[in-house]
Amino acid sequence: MLSKSQARWFFVGGTMFFAAIFIFLTVDSLREIPARQNQDQMTADVVRGKFIWERENCMGCHTILGEGAYYAPELTQVVKRRGAEWIKVFIKDPEAMFPGRRRMVQYDFSDDEISDLIAFLTWIGEIDTNGFPPEPDLAPAVVVASASMASSTAKPAYFTTICIACHSVGGTGGSVGPALDGVGNRLTANELDRWLADPPAVKPGTAMPKLNLPDATRSELVQWLVTLK
Amino acid sequence: MKFRSQRVAYLFFASALLLLVLQLVFGFIMAFAHMGFDGLHDYIPFNAARSSHLNLLVVWLLSGFMGAAYFIIPEEADRELYSEKLAIIQWAALNIVGVITIIGFQFGFWEGRKFLEIPRELDYLVVIDVLLFIFNIGMTLWNGKRFTTTSIVLFVGLTAAALLYLPGMITFDSQVLDSYFRWWVVHLWVEGVWELIMGGIMSFLLIKLTGVDREVIEKWLYVIVGFTFLSGILGTGHHYYYIGTPDYWLWIGGIFSALEPLAFLGMALYAVSMARAGGMRHPNRIALFWTVGCGVMSFVGAGFLGFAHTLPQVNLWTHGTLVTAMHGHMAFWGAYVMVVFAMISYAMPQLTGRKLYDNWVPEWAFWIANVGIIGMTGAFAVAGVAQVYMERKVGMDFLDVQEAIEVHFFGLTLAGCLLTLGIGLYIWNFIQYGLPSDEALESGGA
Repeated sequence: MLSKSQARWFFVGGTMFFAAIFIFLTVDSLREIPARQNQDQMTADVVRGKFIWERENCMGCHTILGEGAYYAPELTQVVKRRGAEWIKVFIKDPEAMFPGRRRMVQYDFSDDEISDLIAFLTWIGEIDTNGFPPEPDLAPAVVVASASMASSTAKPAYFTTICIACHSVGGTGGSVGPALDGVGNRLTANELDRWLADPPAVKPGTAMPKLNLPDATRSELVQWLVTLK
Repeated sequence: MKFRSQRVAYLFFASALLLLVLQLVFGFIMAFAHMGFDGLHDYIPFNAARSSHLNLLVVWLLSGFMGAAYFIIPEEADRELYSEKLAIIQWAALNIVGVITIIGFQFGFWEGRKFLEIPRELDYLVVIDVLLFIFNIGMTLWNGKRFTTTSIVLFVGLTAAALLYLPGMITFDSQVLDSYFRWWVVHLWVEGVWELIMGGIMSFLLIKLTGVDREVIEKWLYVIVGFTFLSGILGTGHHYYYIGTPDYWLWIGGIFSALEPLAFLGMALYAVSMARAGGMRHPNRIALFWTVGCGVMSFVGAGFLGFAHTLPQVNLWTHGTLVTAMHGHMAFWGAYVMVVFAMISYAMPQLTGRKLYDNWVPEWAFWIANVGIIGMTGAFAVAGVAQVYMERKVGMDFLDVQEAIEVHFFGLTLAGCLLTLGIGLYIWNFIQYGLPSDEALESGGA
């Protein structure tokens, strides 16, 4: 039968042995991490972005690399999923993009801070994470079909990164705002232009935010929208 | 109680319970926000509530552990505490730091690193405070009449916990390294050295409550904490699957964290078999309830539910979802809350000389609180698994999924009310005991 001193040796010996292996693996991990995290792309912007991320405790709602809280979306791949342009618009007024839904704190970041955060999130998205987050493997096949259809039509880039979060065309996109199929039959170019310039001025109380689009972007969008008949 | 200075434990227990109440308040704020009632968003946004909830847990459990150590160490070393005054100063300092931390969180004075949100300036105060504590119990042991295995395991656990706080105080530019060393604190605490503290407290309680020979209990204590480190150290690898660390962690973390339930199974078998061997004759049945309950619930919450999502094939999908919250709630409850409650239940009659364990209040507290936490775990499990399938497997939008699972947070809130009722009864019993009294000296006896 096991004696107390044998039990003590099992504890002390086992602990030392596995602690030694752990230290060894840590040293090896520290050697491999620079390549896996693309150390050469860790610019000053990325590092500043990381400290903004910490300062605002973004992890208190979001997860990154799967770590954090479960109140807001996983952000490891957010730049690939939404695009930098979308994030820029969204973060200035998060509630405008998802009216009436779960709220995010309004941070009033400066443009520099936003670009640092995006640099940080872009860098995070490039880390070799052993396949996390995984692609949905039970996703309905129709999503694939509509995605390929979307790429064959010539939508303005702004539409596919920003507008699509709320509006759908051909069944692809968000459901916060109305579907835009056939919008060219309902509205003229002038009306669309006035609407996009300042939606709340046209229809007070609308959920659609004033996006402050550059004139060129706005007219590109209008010209494309009127073709949706 | 045998020694007058043991009474200082009361202060730590009282403030632990007070902070626990606050932790519950923040928990409810978050549960309501998850249900869509975020009326406090402008005053206490989710991240402030979340950080408060987590750090209150850490601080009150540490306060409970310290109280337990101040009660156990004099008795095991067979002498008065080295300095009661130092212990009181250290208690006050811990509470001041805790209060500043929680108030600071409401104003964004924090570090946004999960579990380690306490800002760096206050980290130094925490370290000084814990060093004072370690010094006090260390000197008590050093000058003591005897060294017992129980006291050594408890002391090693507490000292290692203090040392392991340090890797969390290093600043890293890289999120990967930041995360890597953050787990040295968080994982090696809760799945490592805190289990030593838990084992030490449990061993003390089993010796006192069951009357089984100390040599037998302490021998098995070594075996259990041996298994803890055998599995738990390399089990840290289950946090290194997907954060940018090498892929060998997938199988190392998988294998060793799959062994982690063994240590908790050991705790459960240990508590149940010792209680049976001792015939459960101690009049303070309620302390034995919590002790045995701790062994069993820690196995279910930390061991079994941890294993449920620790293998990399599963964790790839569940990582960063509410499934983690399911495991976390029952694990902390079973392993650490219950061991502190067991300790308080054992210590209070000793400290005050009043034997208030033999009535309905503490007994109902035990059952209601446990049913509450089981209900909460179930609600998190349903919400988490639904989230994994809808969001991760099917690819639905995050907010759409969250709206679909809001109803489970209603269930969570109901179960949380039961938990709160149970804890309320427990605290009511604690208040009924009143303050420690010198008349209790030597009168209690085990």
